[in-house]
Amino acid sequence: MTTPRTVELVVNGERRAADAEPRTLLSDFLREGLGLTGTHVGCEHGVCGACTVLVDGQSVRSCLMLAVQAEGSEVRTIEGLGGADDMHPLQEAFWEKHGLQCGFCTPGMLMTAVELLESTPGAGMDEIREAISSNLCRCTGYQTIVEAVQAAAERMQGEGQ
Amino acid sequence: MYVGQAILRREDERFLRGRGHYVEDITLDEPIAHAAFVRSPHAHAAVTRVDTARAVGMPGVLAVLTGADWTAAGYGEAEGVWPVKDMSGADARTVNRPFICTDGVVRCVGEIVAMVVAEDRHQAQDAAEAIAVDYEEKPANTITARALDPDTPLVHPAHGTNEVLVTEHGLKEETEAALARAHHVTEVVVPTNRVTAASIEPRCYMGHHDTVNDRYTVWTTNQAPHIVRRYFTKSLGIPEHKLRVIAPDVGGGFGMKLYHYPEEPLVLWGAIVSRRPVRWVGTRSECLLGDTHARDHHTVGRMAFDEEGRILGVKFETLGAFGAYESQWNASITNAYHFTMLSLAYDIPAIHTTVRGVYTNATPVDAYRGAGRPETIYQVERLIENGAHEMGIDPLELRARNLIPAEKFPYQTAIGIIYDSGDPPALMEKARALCDYDALRAEQAALRAEGRWMGIGMVAFFDMAGAGPVKMMNDLGAKIGCYDVASVRVHPDGRITVFAGSHSHGQGHETTWSQIAADRLGCDIDHIDLVEGDTDRVPMGIGTWGSRSLSTAGMAVYTAADRVVAKAKRMAAHMLECAAEDLDLADGEFTVKGTDRKLSFAEVANASYHSGDRPADLEIGLEETSFFDPADCTYPSAVHVCVVLVDPETCAVTLRDYWAVDDVGTVINPMVLHGQVHGGLVQGIGQALMEECAYDPESGQYLAGTFMDYAIPHAEDVPSFGLDSHFTRALGNPLGAKGAGESGTIGAPGCVANGVIDALWHLGVRQITQPMTPKKIWRAIEDAGRAQQ
Ligand code: FES
Ligand code: FES
Repeated sequence: MTTPRTVELVVNGERRAADAEPRTLLSDFLREGLGLTGTHVGCEHGVCGACTVLVDGQSVRSCLMLAVQAEGSEVRTIEGLGGADDMHPLQEAFWEKHGLQCGFCTPGMLMTAVELLESTPGAGMDEIREAISSNLCRCTGYQTIVEAVQAAAERMQGEGQ
Repeated sequence: MYVGQAILRREDERFLRGRGHYVEDITLDEPIAHAAFVRSPHAHAAVTRVDTARAVGMPGVLAVLTGADWTAAGYGEAEGVWPVKDMSGADARTVNRPFICTDGVVRCVGEIVAMVVAEDRHQAQDAAEAIAVDYEEKPANTITARALDPDTPLVHPAHGTNEVLVTEHGLKEETEAALARAHHVTEVVVPTNRVTAASIEPRCYMGHHDTVNDRYTVWTTNQAPHIVRRYFTKSLGIPEHKLRVIAPDVGGGFGMKLYHYPEEPLVLWGAIVSRRPVRWVGTRSECLLGDTHARDHHTVGRMAFDEEGRILGVKFETLGAFGAYESQWNASITNAYHFTMLSLAYDIPAIHTTVRGVYTNATPVDAYRGAGRPETIYQVERLIENGAHEMGIDPLELRARNLIPAEKFPYQTAIGIIYDSGDPPALMEKARALCDYDALRAEQAALRAEGRWMGIGMVAFFDMAGAGPVKMMNDLGAKIGCYDVASVRVHPDGRITVFAGSHSHGQGHETTWSQIAADRLGCDIDHIDLVEGDTDRVPMGIGTWGSRSLSTAGMAVYTAADRVVAKAKRMAAHMLECAAEDLDLADGEFTVKGTDRKLSFAEVANASYHSGDRPADLEIGLEETSFFDPADCTYPSAVHVCVVLVDPETCAVTLRDYWAVDDVGTVINPMVLHGQVHGGLVQGIGQALMEECAYDPESGQYLAGTFMDYAIPHAEDVPSFGLDSHFTRALGNPLGAKGAGESGTIGAPGCVANGVIDALWHLGVRQITQPMTPKKIWRAIEDAGRAQQ
């Protein structure tokens, strides 16, 4: 059960490989194996959403998935969301609307919102509230997060036109 | 001017890019070992055997340690930061929370019995599971209300009682007289539910012993690193100059991350023994169980009214939970932060309160956002709400009749505290307009006619924020000085580093402290960096808690910056051959008034360090430190109004609207302020509707050990908020600022509760304990229906 094997996958567009025990969670693999500590672990039982990443375009609780299950997948984490000189519209909007305080839930919130806006570009307030209800934030009271996602949705739609 | 502007937060980019630096993210040159703990599965038991033999030889195991090892090492115990004496003058019956079980008895579920240090987390957990512990169960009680009943098992039999201490405050005779002569007396039993902060970042500690230099380092998820250093002088006996405490980015604290939790000294002990850096990251279950719990006061309140609904007096009797042991600050909650605030925003002539602190076989209780004031406001406001309904007076109207008028400020409450400034009637009028109160009442009546249940809740209160001054807080029991510290270091190139003794774990100090400093120094905000959370870099600090950092550390920044300017002006005056008084400082330049002669701030800074041509009595360098002791606490106030809908079919509560009108004095950054209010409100709403650290009353087992069992609000559970403000300046600090961190949390439980009662009053419902779950609401309606038959 504990013999490590090499897991190969594409993370944020880059081919990566590292050893993982079969029991290693994807969250631990990203954080410890690949040094991508932007993905946070708040509960390790699938409720808080802090560990949310995108695996082949779908949001996934990386604490509920084994690293070996992600073999060959395309994984997107918070570290790949913005470019070196610019940020994703969601990151900009979270900044402008004060959608974060301690920042701990923020990576998971952002990745959840990325999935929402990529699948439902015109999402309205209610859809946004529903979508981010999969994630817990103990600091912001959520209002500014909802406003940020909405502002980003408008900006992304504006850019798309 | 930067102060007053909604400047975007300077710390945000790293968080948004996943580059925050939390304790769990830190790497070192050496590999980091991991700690795992064996914890009591029983609420009360004798520990008859701890057998570590199997664990010792397991793969990767570096150390296995028990209470016997702790005792053999001669280590100490935690120390109360805020002990309160019994009203008799005797010391309270204090039993400090142990770090590890050393006396053969565990007194709550989760108490640590043994620790394993191993190469990785899984190996540590595997070895911890291989430790065999034999327990003999003892009878236990987890219910605060039962703590002093004659047949209740004793948590600490040596004391012969579960009572920790008794304190009384206020005007006893006057209050009894008011109740005796009242036109109407309202009585309500108002327990507050046991909740916990549940920051999304779990607690996490890492210890390191540098044997070459004989120095220690602890990385900690803590809100007050210098206080942690002080705790270690008692626990591991490490002198303060030998220990560096680093609290880097911390993912929410809310008061809960203020204490010397068992795991903190234990990981450093593990590091000393195993000669390796050791880290522990709490699992969510360990955190929901072991993080301090909060509230859990069992209170009976009585309120006396005259014919017009004027409050004549209020009397409280409270059993205040301590849990199984005393956590470091808890005695302050049932005392300093409870009795002082009993007048809320009302002109009440007679107040009396008796608090009995009690032990139960439950997790120790300590401060969580609001600490003492959510209980107090909820309790007083529940009495006012019921009193208004019983007397047939509109609840807002009855409150308005009792508010402290603006002309009475500074206002001394019947309990003795002086509110420096405020205008509660103005807050109430703004709230009335904001919610369109008359329209809401009309809507309520219309819906009720259709069989739909809508309620309007409200509260009006003051907070005691900004702990300080030192003397006042010492008099209220604090053993630590409640001041705070900042150094402003101007570098020779004119750029500035501010070092502050506060700690930001979401509050945004990198932005707000820089706003204050930039205004005082007349410089660009981008020329300032802030350092917090490192005892080797920051001279001293008391930390961030109790809505205190702005009026203490923020003021220390302000004061130190002013001292820097005064010194720099002397240097600049020397260089410009004028008097210091003739200089203006703005936009990074010293200018001789009425002329175009000027020097840049950077030129003066450079000369301050490198020029021999200076006034004879002016010391080299440009750096100043302020230990700021405020003249008073701050007293923010607020009025909240909410609308709830209770579904007659499911009894589920929908919180439809929530308005808050705040007086927090001078605002540094309105965006940050609103964030604080929003987040606080949602925590208070969680307390009202869904959160509970539940124990099985028979076995004492903890029932809320995952986020599936401990419900904190999701986005869909709360509305968007309507905020307004009416500011009066604080008199205790030159900025005129009042604390803003707790206002939302302390008001919301009472406001939401009153809304639900208002929705159901016509059905005969008079009180429902929090959290107001559909099941409890359904039962209250059933019981009320039966009573009316
Ligand atoms: S850490 Fe994965 S859902 Fe909480
Ligand atoms: S910003 Fe702190 S948990 Fe969301």
